[in-house]
Amino acid sequence: MAWRWITAILGGYGFAVAAAMLTARLLPAPDATARVEATGWPMILSFLLYTGVGLWSLHEVRLGRVNAVIWGGALAMAVALKLLGVRA
Amino acid sequence: MSDKTVQPGWRQSMAWAHGWLGLIAGWILFTMFLTGTSAYFRPEITRWMQPEIHAEAASPAQAADSATRYLSRVGPDDLQWYIYLPDARTVATRIFRIPAKPDPRIRGNELDLDPVSGAPLNARDTRGGEHFYRFHFQLQLPHPWGRWLAGLCAMAMLGAIISGVITHKRIFADFFTLRWNKGQRSWLDAHNVSAVLGLPYHAMITYTGLITLVTMYMPWPVLTNYASPAQFMQTAYGTPADVPASGVRRPLVAIAPLVRDAERRLGGPATRVIVQNPGDAAARVTIAQGKRGAINSRTPTATYDGATGRLLSRSGDAAVAIDTAGVMLGLHLAGFAGPALRWAYFVMGLTGAAMVGTGLLLWTAKRRKPGAAPFFGLKLAERLNIAVIAAFPAGMAAYLLANRLIPATLEGRADMEVSAMFWTWGLLAIAQLGLPTRRAWTVLFGVAAVFWGAIPLVNALTTSRWLVPSLLDGDQLFVAFDLSCLAIGIGFAVAARISARPAARTPTRTRRSLEPFHA
Repeated sequence: MAWRWITAILGGYGFAVAAAMLTARLLPAPDATARVEATGWPMILSFLLYTGVGLWSLHEVRLGRVNAVIWGGALAMAVALKLLGVRA
Repeated sequence: MSDKTVQPGWRQSMAWAHGWLGLIAGWILFTMFLTGTSAYFRPEITRWMQPEIHAEAASPAQAADSATRYLSRVGPDDLQWYIYLPDARTVATRIFRIPAKPDPRIRGNELDLDPVSGAPLNARDTRGGEHFYRFHFQLQLPHPWGRWLAGLCAMAMLGAIISGVITHKRIFADFFTLRWNKGQRSWLDAHNVSAVLGLPYHAMITYTGLITLVTMYMPWPVLTNYASPAQFMQTAYGTPADVPASGVRRPLVAIAPLVRDAERRLGGPATRVIVQNPGDAAARVTIAQGKRGAINSRTPTATYDGATGRLLSRSGDAAVAIDTAGVMLGLHLAGFAGPALRWAYFVMGLTGAAMVGTGLLLWTAKRRKPGAAPFFGLKLAERLNIAVIAAFPAGMAAYLLANRLIPATLEGRADMEVSAMFWTWGLLAIAQLGLPTRRAWTVLFGVAAVFWGAIPLVNALTTSRWLVPSLLDGDQLFVAFDLSCLAIGIGFAVAARISARPAARTPTRTRRSLEPFHA
C-alpha cells in the first residue's frame, strides 16, 4: 500500500512532468508567441493530468499495471525527451 | 484494497481515496483555508494592526515622488528600489531596498512611508495581514519546503474534490439535505452541503492556487523549449533584460512625470515602481499599472531610462496561455473584487474551511463505535481535529491580541506577535490532552470564543479607535473589523454550547462511561 501511494504521489508527478515536457516539445511553435503557448498550456494543464493519473493509481487494483503505466510511461517519455533534446 | 482482491468500481475506490486524501491533508488544508480566507483582507488587517497610521491620501505620482526623494537620501548607491504605491485599500507607501552592500545589522529593508511627506511612518512594527497571507502558502516552514508542502496539500485537495464528486450519487439532492442531530449522518450532510454549495469555488480556488506557484511546481516544460528560464520570462512577460550599472553617476529624473506618463499610456493608476541602478547613467524605471476591475493580475508595465526619462519599452500583448494564467492568478487573489464580491469570497472561503472541518469530523464519527474503546489512530485523529479546528483559530486571535498587548515601541515585537500565535496554538493543542475529547472540544471552542470576543474589548482598552469612535468617525474598516471579531467569537461560543450538549441518538452516557479516563 505504501508503494501504491508513493507511485500515485511521486510517480504521478514524474508522469505529469514528463508528459507536460513532451507535449511542450512536440506542439508546433513556428514563432515566438506560439512557443510561449506551447510551453504555457502544458504547465497550466499538467495538474489535471497529475490528479487523474494519481487517482487512477489508487483505483487500479493490479499494482503491476500501475507500475508499468506510471513509472514505465514516465521513463519512456523521458527517453523520448532526451532523444529530442532542447528545442533549437 | 490489496492486489488479490477484485477490482472495485470507481465510486468505491474513489470513496476510499477521498477519505485518506482528505484526512492526511485535511489538517493543513484547514489552516490554509482559514489564513487564506483572512488574506482577502490583507491590507485591511495591516491597517487595523497599525492604528497609529492616519496617513493622508496621495496620488500615485505624488507618493512615488516622495518615496524616491526619501530613497535618494538613504540609499543613493542601492542596486534596486521597489516602491509599492498606496491605493484605495492601503494608506502607506511601502518601499523595499536592495542595497549594494547588505548591512547584516538591518533585518529586512522594508519600510512604510507617508505618501505625502515621504517620511518613514512612525507605527508599531508588525507583519500585519502579511503574516496570515504568507502562512497560507508557506506554512511557516523554511523556503522552499513550506511551498512544496502547501502545493502537495493543494494537489490532495484537487484529488479529494474530484474523487468526492465521483463518490457522490446525488449532488442536486444534497443541496437540500441537512439532518441535524443525527450523529454521523449529520456530519455527512454538513460535509455534503458545504462541499456541494461551494463546489465551483472550491475547485476554482484549488486549481488557481496551484497556478499561483506554477513556475515553481511545474517549470519543466520551459526547460525543453528554451535555453534558459530567463529567455522564457523575457518572451512571455516582456520583462526587459537587466542592464548592469555603468559606474557613471547621473541624477535620477523626476519620477512623478514618468508615473503620470505611464498611467496615461497604460490606462490606469500606477501601483508599483521599480528603480534599477538609481543615480547611475544606466538607471531604469519600470512602472506597473494595476487594472482595477480587470481580473487578470498580470500588470502591464512601461520602462523608462532613469537618466533621461525616455520611454524604452512597454509590455505588449501576452500569449493566451500567459493571460489565462494571469486570470487564474487574479481569480485566486481576488484583487479585482470590490467590497461585496470580496465578502462573498470571504464567505466562500469559510465554507471551504467548513467543508474540510466537517470532513475531518466525519472521518472520526464514522469510525467511532458506541461502547468500544477507540483505537490509537482514531484517538490521534480526534486530538488533531481538536488541535486544528478549535485551537488554530484561537492562535489566530492571539496574534491579533498580541498586536494590541505588546508595547508599541518594543524591539522585536513583530516576531513576538507571530510567536504568540504559535505558542497559543501549540499550548492549547497540548493542554487539551488533559481533558476527555468531548470536554476538550467544549473548552477549546470556549477559549476561541473568549479570545475572538476579547479583540474588540482589548482594542477599546489600548487604542482610541474602538467601536464607538469608529462608528462616529465613519471608519468602516475599524467598525467592520471589531464586529467581525465579535461575530467569530459568538460563532465559537455557539460551537462550544453545541459541543457541550449530549449528542442525540447516540448512547453518549454508556459510551462515556466506557471510555478510558484519558481519552
